[in-house]
Amino acid sequence: MRLLINGRHHDVEHGDEPLLWVLRDELGLTGTRYGCGVGICGCCTVLLAGRPTRSCQITAAEVGERSVVTLEGLAERGPDGQVVALHPVQQAFVETPLQCGWCLPGHVLTAVALLARDPDPDEATIAEAASPNLCRCGGYNTIKAAVARAAELAREA
Amino acid sequence: MTGDDTAPSEPDVRPRRWRVARRRLLIGAGATVGSLLVGVPIALEYGRPSLARWMLERGTGPAEVPESSLVWFELTGDGITVHVPKIEMGQGIHTALAQVAAEELRVRPEQLAVVQADTARGFPAATLFTFGSTSVASLYTPIREAAAAVREMLAIEAARQLNVEPPELTAAEGAFQVAGTDRVLAYVDVIAAHQGPWQEPGERPALRPAGEFTSIGRSAPRVDFRAKVLGEATYGYDARLPGMGYGAFAVPPRFGARLESAEPGDVAGMPGVLQVVIDVEAGFAGVVADTRTRAWAAARALRTTWSEGTRVDTGALEQQVTAGDGVVLRRDGSIRDALSRGRIVQAEYRTPMAAHAHLEPLAALAAVEPGPDGTIELWVPTQSPESVLEDVRAALGEEREVVVHVTQLGGSFGRKGGQHLAVEAARLSAATGRPVHVGWTRDTDLRQAFYRPPTHTKMRGSVGPDGMIRGVEQVSAAGDIIWAVAGLPEPVRSLIGFDPGGLLGLFLPYDLPAYRLVNRREQLPVPTGPWRGLGLMPNTFALESFFDELAEAAGTDPLTYRLAHLRESGEQGERLRTVLRTAAQMAGWHESLPAGRGRGIACSGDARTVVAVVAEVDLSGGRLRVTGVDVAVDCGLVVNPAGAKLQAQGSVVMGLSSALREELRIQDGQVVSDNFDSYPILAMADTPPVRVTFVGGGEVPYGMGEPVVGPVPAAVANAVRAAGGPRLRSLPLRL
Repeated sequence: MRLLINGRHHDVEHGDEPLLWVLRDELGLTGTRYGCGVGICGCCTVLLAGRPTRSCQITAAEVGERSVVTLEGLAERGPDGQVVALHPVQQAFVETPLQCGWCLPGHVLTAVALLARDPDPDEATIAEAASPNLCRCGGYNTIKAAVARAAELAREA
Repeated sequence: MTGDDTAPSEPDVRPRRWRVARRRLLIGAGATVGSLLVGVPIALEYGRPSLARWMLERGTGPAEVPESSLVWFELTGDGITVHVPKIEMGQGIHTALAQVAAEELRVRPEQLAVVQADTARGFPAATLFTFGSTSVASLYTPIREAAAAVREMLAIEAARQLNVEPPELTAAEGAFQVAGTDRVLAYVDVIAAHQGPWQEPGERPALRPAGEFTSIGRSAPRVDFRAKVLGEATYGYDARLPGMGYGAFAVPPRFGARLESAEPGDVAGMPGVLQVVIDVEAGFAGVVADTRTRAWAAARALRTTWSEGTRVDTGALEQQVTAGDGVVLRRDGSIRDALSRGRIVQAEYRTPMAAHAHLEPLAALAAVEPGPDGTIELWVPTQSPESVLEDVRAALGEEREVVVHVTQLGGSFGRKGGQHLAVEAARLSAATGRPVHVGWTRDTDLRQAFYRPPTHTKMRGSVGPDGMIRGVEQVSAAGDIIWAVAGLPEPVRSLIGFDPGGLLGLFLPYDLPAYRLVNRREQLPVPTGPWRGLGLMPNTFALESFFDELAEAAGTDPLTYRLAHLRESGEQGERLRTVLRTAAQMAGWHESLPAGRGRGIACSGDARTVVAVVAEVDLSGGRLRVTGVDVAVDCGLVVNPAGAKLQAQGSVVMGLSSALREELRIQDGQVVSDNFDSYPILAMADTPPVRVTFVGGGEVPYGMGEPVVGPVPAAVANAVRAAGGPRLRSLPLRL
């Protein structure tokens, strides 16, 4: 079967496996992380047709023809695959980093989806969107600041 | 198809020989033409590879330089790389250490590459156990000295190439300029054009005075975060090699259960199963499969029988940890006399078991060359590469060459110091002749871990007619921390009677006419061990809660009461007074709050750092909500304020998580809190604003990884009481 991931089609073998493991282990896209396997922590978040989705809770076959975007697919890249520009949310998290970074897929991709529907979210809106994603290093204050900064960067762009 | 972004093996740049130069400096002739390696050993206190030995020999040990504890600089025509022996797991230490090196090298931090030293590049045990909030504190001076020496060596060579005298050169941003001219020579060009031996600096190179710092003390961007936001950083769970299989293995159903028999059953015929590997004598039954979920399913399907193990539950464990007898660690004044008069206050406190719950579960990748002498190469997210090396050699052959690459760590908090899957991955790789990656499920990761041990503390104190404390008796018990992971025989541990890790936060910092402190360690039938700050947070919860109870008995404001009892304790007392006053001021301590809301304060010291925390709570609606936290920290010199603030805020969140949520439950000898539904950790919705102020300053940095976690639960419990709520004496706090 074929999946549309980060704008490119990929043939995948294990359609019955959770999308998480197909991304990580078949396609080598390890930016999508395993954290709990039951859809709580948010480390495995991808954008599925633009919506933040727990990739441990859906099989590759269930994705069908919907587009999948992972952490690796956010930056603007040149023809050689080299990064030309970070996505504003990525740039914001570089300026306002977390600690270990394992939870980044959940926080970054959720923020990307939030800013796509609300370019100027207030703090409560940011917190509501980000809350389902855990961060054991405890960077919750920083995450809110980074998303607000990302909104600024996106508006300037 | 499997990605292959983990290089199978880096080119060997090990110097052929090292020669000890003046002032402890080691100069290595690099394997690469034109390169220079300069290393400097780390002080003994931090260099000892094993925490147990460090604990035992501290203060009495020989003063020789440890053989393999080095930070070293590698200079090539491509630039300067600093190999640091302490592990990045999110603390931001590689960034802080880059700033320190940059300061003396006269480069911008981003002109340096900071890499994790490993056993493939440099020394047999080039990495150090990362523990105890010591990384930046221990490397600060060695890195400065080494960097200054490197700069001077470059200057001597640059002067030769430019045909001037070294004093005529000024260094800035990675280049030398000849004074009074526009002649400039970049470091990389100096290195590239260099021939023959390097000339060592004749005297101790000058370190830059603190007033002239351009890098130390300023917030710098994290060196590792661009790769992280791009999804390109390689954590342990991400490590991979071409042709790799996925391993899994059977785990005991209860703590203490040993494998008695194992049969493949139908597992060999299950989809994707490449091999079943059983070695009952070694207590091992595992599989290798073509996908991870298939490996997990196959491992669960192995037919195994286990010995009984323990059937203990949480209640029985807490019962076992009951304060009573123990080792008298302090006896100041006459406690009998103090407690025979005045107003007597007594209370008992408990803290439960807790998990580290780092979001990246344990993982390891092993590639074992065929044959009994084959080299073993490992990629492991570990705080302690040395223990990986020792364990793998013990299991697969003492004569084997073992190379340990340390990957990024997705959190650790003490857990990845003593536990790893490297042995299991190596067994499976050796048996199948292919690289094998083993990664645990969340539930296995929580069930098969070691845990923060439970504690029980009985406090008794007396308040005199002047309102001041006459004396305090503190009797406590806790499960093992250091003894649970250090290889000391049980008779020795019993003889010592207390656990060194349990000493953190154990001593009341206040001026007391009489103080008696008794502590006992308990070996529990379930695994316990180091958790961020070791005994710091559980002990501080008891001590600082009780101090508020004494203040309440005296009818005195808790801040005033603390300040009044810190007058005679010298520098430490003065530093505590400063952080207490600062945190109180930040929080508006004396401003009144509406009914149902309150503020609590608590303080502690650890790793030479002192911290005060004020928590504000709201009990309206019968629910405990923390609405704000103010933190004042004196951690000496702050190398990277942004990084230190993150550490402080993260420590507060972890402390709040323990205060409000975390409680590891065990039933019938097994953990039943085995995912984030049954073991909830604090989420953003319950996290208040956390404000941080650094006070103090000074010549050198102190610890910052753990100290701030200490006072947090006590501050919250004290705030609950101040808000008109009950005095809560066990964690997690429940109204």
